[in-house]
Amino acid sequence: MVASSPLVKMQSLHKSYGDGAVQVLKGIDIEMKPGERLVVIGPSGGGKSTLLRVMMGLEQIDSGSITFAGQPYVSSASREKKTLIDTEVRRSIGMVFQHYTLFPHLNILQNLVLAPRKVRNEPKASAEARALSLLERFGLAAKARAYPAQLSGGQKQRVAIARALMLDPKLMLFDEVTSALDPELVSEVEHVIMQLADQDMPMMIVTHDMWFAKNIASRVIFCAGGVVVEDGPPEQVLGSPREERTREFIERVFHIKQ
Amino acid sequence: MDLDFTIVLRYYDALLIGLWTTVQLTMVCIALGCALGFVTALGRTSKNFALRAITGTYVELFRGTPVLIQLFWIFFCLPLILGVELSNFISATIALTLYMGAISSETFRASLKSVGSEQLDACIALGLPRSVQIRNIIMPQAVLRAVPTLLSNCVSLFKESALVSAVGMADLMFVGQNISNNIARPVEVLTVVAIIYFVIAFPITRAVTFVERRMLIRLAI
Ligand SMILES: Nc1ncnc2c1ncn2[C@@H]1O[C@H](COP(=O)(O)OP(=O)(O)O)[C@@H](O)[C@H]1O
Ligand SMILES: [Mg+2]
Repeated sequence: MVASSPLVKMQSLHKSYGDGAVQVLKGIDIEMKPGERLVVIGPSGGGKSTLLRVMMGLEQIDSGSITFAGQPYVSSASREKKTLIDTEVRRSIGMVFQHYTLFPHLNILQNLVLAPRKVRNEPKASAEARALSLLERFGLAAKARAYPAQLSGGQKQRVAIARALMLDPKLMLFDEVTSALDPELVSEVEHVIMQLADQDMPMMIVTHDMWFAKNIASRVIFCAGGVVVEDGPPEQVLGSPREERTREFIERVFHIKQ
Repeated sequence: MDLDFTIVLRYYDALLIGLWTTVQLTMVCIALGCALGFVTALGRTSKNFALRAITGTYVELFRGTPVLIQLFWIFFCLPLILGVELSNFISATIALTLYMGAISSETFRASLKSVGSEQLDACIALGLPRSVQIRNIIMPQAVLRAVPTLLSNCVSLFKESALVSAVGMADLMFVGQNISNNIARPVEVLTVVAIIYFVIAFPITRAVTFVERRMLIRLAI
C-alpha cells in the first residue's frame, strides 16, 4: 500500500439518535494512515463511543461515508435511508468493548474459535491451535477451559482482545477497554495493547487514561460536542494544546488523576 | 376415627397405573408445550403485527381462563366443532399442551429479552451471520436462562394435570378418587395420592434452586 493512501477515511459523518432529536456526530472528517495509532479523547457524552460504533457498522448514520483501504463500506445519503454497510469490508475491523461482551455460555476456547469456525469455515484443529497460542501469548493458557464468569475483569478483557485477533483484523478499535476494570488490573490489559502496537497493528483507542494515551498514541484527537476540536501529535494535543477547550479538558483529567 | 394406611397398599398397582398415565401425559405435554412456547415467544417478539396479534391472543386467552374450562372446552366443544371424535388422551394432550405452551412462552419471552444488546454487538463485531447469532448465541442463552422458570412451569403442569380426572381420564387423581369412593377411605387414599404428587413435584422444585445456584451462577447468565 502506498504510504499516502489512507487506511480509513471518514467523510462528513453525521449521526443522531431518536429520529434526529439528539445530534451526536456533527460532521466528522478523519483520515487515518496505515500504521497510525489514533487515540481519541474527550468529555463523556461527546460521541466517542458512537464514532467507534459507526466505524464498526453497529449504528445507522444520517449521512456521510467511511472507506477502508480505499473501499467504501459505510455510507448513507440521508437519515430516512438505511445505512449501507459492506459486511465483507467490515470483517477487516475488530472491536473490543468496555464491558468485555464475552459469550457467557461458552468457555474461553469456544469464545475464541466460534467466529473463525463459522465465518471462515476454519477447521476446528487449526482454529484451536491458533487460539491456544494466542492465549499462551496473553498469559491465559491455563484458562482455556474456564468460563468467562470465572475470570477477573482484566483476564476477560484480554480474552476479548484475543477473540477479536482471531479474525486477523487490519484495524482494531478499543472503546474504553480499561474503564470498567479495578485499577490494579488496568496495566495487564494496556500491556497487551502495547504488544499489538509493537507489531504495528493500526488502532483507534478511546481512553481516559492519559498516561496510556501518551505512551501508545501516534496521533491524538480531541473530540467534543460531536466534532473534532483538535487533532495532532500527542506532544501537541496532550502537552501544549492549541485549543482552549482541549486545554481545559486535559487540565481537568490530569487534575482528577493526581 | 380408625386410620389404616396399609389398606392403600392393596391398590398400589392401580395407583401405579394411574401415576404412569399422569407421568406420560405430563412428559408429552412438556415436550410439545415447550416447543410451542418457544415458537410462540418468537412470534410475540416478532416485527410482524399479525404474528404478534395471533400469539398474543392465544397466550392471554389461556393465561386468563381456568385450566378446567380449557379442558372442558377441548373435550366437549372441540369435537363438536371439528366433527370428529377425539380420544381422552388426545384431548387431554391438546389441552395441556396449549396450557404449557402459553405459560412457557412467557418464560421464553422474558429470557429472550434478557439476552442483552451488547451480546448482539459482539456478534456483529465478529461478523457472525444472523443464523449463527440465533443458533449459537441467542438460543442457548435464552434456553439456559429459562431453565429455572421452565422447571416451575413443568411442576405446575404436573399438578394441573390432575384436572383431567374431571373428564374421566384414568390418571393418578382419577384412580385415587375411585378407590377412595369404593372403599370409603378418603383420608387414607387421598393422603397417599397427595404424597405421591408431592414426592415427584418436590425434587423438581428443589432442582430449580440447584440450577440457579450452580449452573447459572457459574455461567453468570
Ligand atoms: N443508543 C442511544 N440512544 C440514544 N442516545 C444515545 C445512545 N447512545 C448514546 N447516546 C447519546 O449520545 C451522546 C454521545 O454518547 P457516546 O457516543 O456514548 O459518548 P462518549 O462515548 O463520548 O461518552 C450522549 O449524549 C448519549 O447520551
Ligand atoms: Mg463511551
